Amino acid sequence: MAKIRLYTIIFAALMVISTVQFALEWAVLDRELIDMGYWVIFWIVIVMSSIKAVAVAGWYMHMLEEPRAITYLAMAGLLCVIALTAGAGYSVL
Amino acid sequence: MSDDNTHEHDDGHDGHLPPKSSVKRWLVTTNHKDIGILYTITAIFFLIFAGILAMLIRVQMWESGHFILSDLGYNQVVTAHGLLMVFWFLSPFAFGLANYFVPLQIGAADLAFPRLNAVSYWLYLFSGVLLGVSFFQGASLPTGWTLYAPLNLPAFIPGVAELGSMSAILALIIFVASVTIGSVNFLTTMYRMRAEGLRMRDTPLFSISILLTVWMMLFAFAALLAALILLSFDHVFAGEAGQGYFGSEEGGSLLWTHLFWFFGHPEVYIVFFPALGVMAEVVQTFSGRRLVGRKWFIIAMALVAIQSFIVWMHHMFLTSINLPIKTVMMVTTIGISLPFDLMMFALIYTMIKGRVRWKTPFLFVLGAIILFILGGITGVFLGAIVLDYSFRGTYWVVAHFHYVMASGAVALIGGLYYWYPKITGKMYNEFLGKVHFVLAFIGFNLLYFPLFVVWETPRRWFHYDGMTVAPTIPFTDIVLFETGFTIWHQMATIGAFLFAASFLVMFYNLFVSLYSDRVVDESPWAYTGSAEWTVSSPPPETNFPGAPSFATGKLNFLEGPATDGGTETAKTDGGVAHAGDTVEKHPDHASWWPLLMSLAALVTAIGISGLETSYFVWPFVFAIPFFVGYLGFEGARKDGFTPVHGIYMAAAMPLFALFGIVFHLHHGVPGGFIEANQYFWIATVGAFFGVATLISMGYESFFAPEPKPELTEQWPFEGVTNTKLGMWVFLGSDIVLFGAFIGSYIFMRIQHGWTDWWVSATYESKAVWPGLVNTYVLLASSFTIVLALAYAKKGSKRGTLGFLAITFIGAGAFMINKIIEWNELYINQGWTFNADVMASAYYLTTGLHAAHVVVGMLIMLFLFARAYSGAYWSEDEDAYTIEYFGLYWHFVDIVWLFLFPLFYLL
Repeated sequence: MAKIRLYTIIFAALMVISTVQFALEWAVLDRELIDMGYWVIFWIVIVMSSIKAVAVAGWYMHMLEEPRAITYLAMAGLLCVIALTAGAGYSVL
Repeated sequence: MSDDNTHEHDDGHDGHLPPKSSVKRWLVTTNHKDIGILYTITAIFFLIFAGILAMLIRVQMWESGHFILSDLGYNQVVTAHGLLMVFWFLSPFAFGLANYFVPLQIGAADLAFPRLNAVSYWLYLFSGVLLGVSFFQGASLPTGWTLYAPLNLPAFIPGVAELGSMSAILALIIFVASVTIGSVNFLTTMYRMRAEGLRMRDTPLFSISILLTVWMMLFAFAALLAALILLSFDHVFAGEAGQGYFGSEEGGSLLWTHLFWFFGHPEVYIVFFPALGVMAEVVQTFSGRRLVGRKWFIIAMALVAIQSFIVWMHHMFLTSINLPIKTVMMVTTIGISLPFDLMMFALIYTMIKGRVRWKTPFLFVLGAIILFILGGITGVFLGAIVLDYSFRGTYWVVAHFHYVMASGAVALIGGLYYWYPKITGKMYNEFLGKVHFVLAFIGFNLLYFPLFVVWETPRRWFHYDGMTVAPTIPFTDIVLFETGFTIWHQMATIGAFLFAASFLVMFYNLFVSLYSDRVVDESPWAYTGSAEWTVSSPPPETNFPGAPSFATGKLNFLEGPATDGGTETAKTDGGVAHAGDTVEKHPDHASWWPLLMSLAALVTAIGISGLETSYFVWPFVFAIPFFVGYLGFEGARKDGFTPVHGIYMAAAMPLFALFGIVFHLHHGVPGGFIEANQYFWIATVGAFFGVATLISMGYESFFAPEPKPELTEQWPFEGVTNTKLGMWVFLGSDIVLFGAFIGSYIFMRIQHGWTDWWVSATYESKAVWPGLVNTYVLLASSFTIVLALAYAKKGSKRGTLGFLAITFIGAGAFMINKIIEWNELYINQGWTFNADVMASAYYLTTGLHAAHVVVGMLIMLFLFARAYSGAYWSEDEDAYTIEYFGLYWHFVDIVWLFLFPLFYLL
C-alpha cells in the first residue's frame, strides 16, 4: 500500500505541475497578464517538464531501484540527443 | 550435442531443429551458429551484387564519355553500390562472424533472444531484396549513398524514381529495424550471459569490438531512422510539387546532412570495429602472444566509440555551418586519429615481439593494416578544414574511404579464413588462400592508388574529359605525371577486375575445401586464447559440454545445466496449471514466425512504395480490426476460450464497419476500393499478414532459458532480467529516435527564428487545450499502468484487469482527442501536412508519438486477454511482462511531457 500511496502522490504532483505549465503559458504568453519575458517562461516550463520526466522515470519506471547502469544507459541516449541538437543548432547561429 | 541429439518436445511443440541437410532447418532455425552462417552467406551474395555494380562503374570510367550506362543508370548504380557495400555487405558480414563466435567466446549457449536474432536476419535479407526490387520499379534512388537533400526529394528528381526511391528508403528503414533488434540482442547477451569469472575486460577482443560496435549501432542507426522516416514522409506528402521537410527554406538540406552524418561517421567505425577485433585476434594467434598493450587497445577503442559522435561535421566543411563549429570538429577529428595510432602500434609491436606464422588469415590482416594506415593518413587531410575545401567531392575522398572500408573488408576476409575451420570442421587450401591474398592485394592497390593520382576527378562524374590534363601535386603547379587522367582510370579498372577475380579463387577454395579430407579437431592453430577453440569443429549444438566457467582463471566446464528453468509446471492449452504436472523443459530452437513476419514486412513495404497519398493510412487502419479479431481467435486457440476472446472476435466486424464508413466518406464504397491501385491491395495484404504473424509469434510457446546468475557474470546489470534489460536498451534507441525528431524541430525553429515560429504558421489558432487534456490523460494512464503492475504483484485479478482496462481507455481517449485536434487543424483550418514547415514538424513529431500510443494500445489488448486467462497475476505467474510494457508506456508518456511544451505551449 505504501507504494500505491507514493504512486498517487507523484501522480497528483505531475497533474499540478502540468496545470501550472499551462497557466504560465496562458498568463504570460497568451494573455500577457504577467510581464516575465518569453525566455524566462521557456526555461521554467522546460525545467518543469524535466522534473516530471525524472519523476516518471525514477518512480514509475523504477529507475531508482534498478542498478545505476540502467540510468547511465538512458543518459547515454540523452547525451547523443543533446550532442546532435546542440551541435546542429549552434552550427547555424 | 550434435544434430542427432536435438530433441522433440513433450508438449508436441515443434521446437526441435531438422538436420542441416534439410532446407526447413535454415528457414526455421533460431540457433546463433546457423544464423551466423546465414548472415555470412547472404552478405557474400550482396558483396557479389554490389561488386558487379562496381564493375559497371569501372567499365563506365574506362574513358570519359564511354557509356554502357545512361546518366540516370550510372547514378543508380553508384548509389546502390555504396548502399549495398556499406549496409548489406560489410556490417552483416561482420555480424555473421559475431553471431557465430560471440556466444562461444563469452561462454553462452546462444544469444539472449534467439527468435529476435532470426527476425534480425530475415529483416536484413528482405530489406536487401527490397533494394533489388527498387530497380524494377522504373528506377532506384539516384542520389549517391549519402542521399543528400534536396536531390533525395521527388521535387528535385521529377519524373523518375518515385516508386523505386521510396522502395530504397523503405529498404533502409527495414534494415535499421534489423540492426536495432540485433543491437538489443547483442548488448543484452554480452552484459547478462558471460560465463562465470569472465570479466568484461577479459572478454576476447573480437567480442569487445562487437560490444562497442553495437553500442554505436544502437544510437547512430536511431538517428538514421529518424532521417529516413522524415524523408519517406517527404516522398509521400510533399510530392513533386512541394518542398517537404528536407527541401524547406529553414535549412532542410542542411538538416539532412546533420542527421545523416551524425549517423554516418559512427557508421564508419561500426563497419571497421569488427575488423579491428579480427585484426587483434589474428595477430595474437599468428604472433603466438597476447596483444601488447591490450588494456590500452580496449580503452582506445572505447574512446573512439564515444568520440565518433562528436566529429560528424567534418563531412560538412563546405556547407553553411559557422567557422567555430568547423574548428571544433576539426580538432575532434584530428584527435580521433590518435587512439587509432595507438591501436596500430599495438598490433605492429605484437608482431615484432612475437614469432609470426605467415598463414592466410595473417596475410590478410597484415594487408588490411597496411591499407588502413594509407587510408587513415589520407583521411587526416580531409579532417583539416582548408585542405577539405579542395579535396571534398573529388576522387581523393573516393580513394581514401575505399582504403579504409576495404581495409575492414580485407581484415574480415582474414577472419573468415581464420574461423572457417571452426565453422566447417575442414581446413581450407593454404596455397589457394595465399594466391587469393596476393591477387587481392595487388588488385586493390592497382584499383585505388591511381585514384589518388587523379584526385582532381570530380566524385560521381563519369564525364571527366575536361579533366584530362596532367595530374599535379596538390596545391602546386608541379606536374606529377605527363599523362592525362584516362590512363590512370584504365589502370584502376584493370585493378578492379583483378580484385574481383581474386574472390573467385576464394569461393572455389572454400567450396572445394568443404568436401576435402582435411578434417580439423578443436583448433588448427598453434596458439589460441579464446573459448571457441576449446570445443569441437564445428561446435556442438549447445556449444559446450557443461557450464563454462573462468572462475579459476582458465576455462573449465562444470557439470549440470547452466540455465534456469530445467523443469516447469506443465501447461494445458488454457494455461491452467495442475499440481504435480512437471515436465522437463528444453530450450527451443525453431520457429517459422521470424521468417513469415519479415516476409510480411517486405510485402507491406512494396505496397507502401506505390501507395497514393490519399490511401496512405488505409491498409493499416483496416489492419486494426483484423488485429483485434485475430487476437481473439488465436488467444482462444492457445489460452482457451474466454468471454474476452469472444468480445474481441465480435468487435472486429463493427470496427471494420466503422472504418469502412469513414473510408466511404473519403473515397466512396465500393468506388474507392475499385479505383485503388494494386499497391493498396499489396500493402493491405502485407499488413494483414504481418498482424497475423505478430500475434502468432506473441502466442507461440518459445523457451529461451536465462543462465543461472551464480554461474554468470552480469556486471553491471545484476538483478535485471534479460527482457527488462532488452527493453531498456530498446528505449535507449527510442530516446535517440524521438530526440532526433525533436532536435530536427529545434534546428528548423532556430533557422526560422525561434519566437516567430508559430506566428508564421498558416493555421488559425494553436491547439493548447487539446494538448493539456492529453497531458492529463497520458499522465493518468502512466499512473494506472503502474497500479496494474502493483495489483498483479499482489495477485489481484480484478485490480490487474481493471487498471489495464483503464489504461487502455485512457490511451483511447488520447487518440480520440488527437483525431479531433488533427481534424480541426487539418480539415477545418486547412493546415495540411505540407502547408508549411511548422505543419510538417508538428504532424510528423506528434504523429510518431501517436503511432507509439497506437502500438501500446494493441499490446494492451494482448496483455488484457492473457491476464484474463490467468497470466501475470495468478500463482506461478509473474508480473514482469506488465512491468516491461509499463517501461515502454511510461517512456511514451515522458516523450509527451516534452512535446506538450514544445508544440503546444512555447
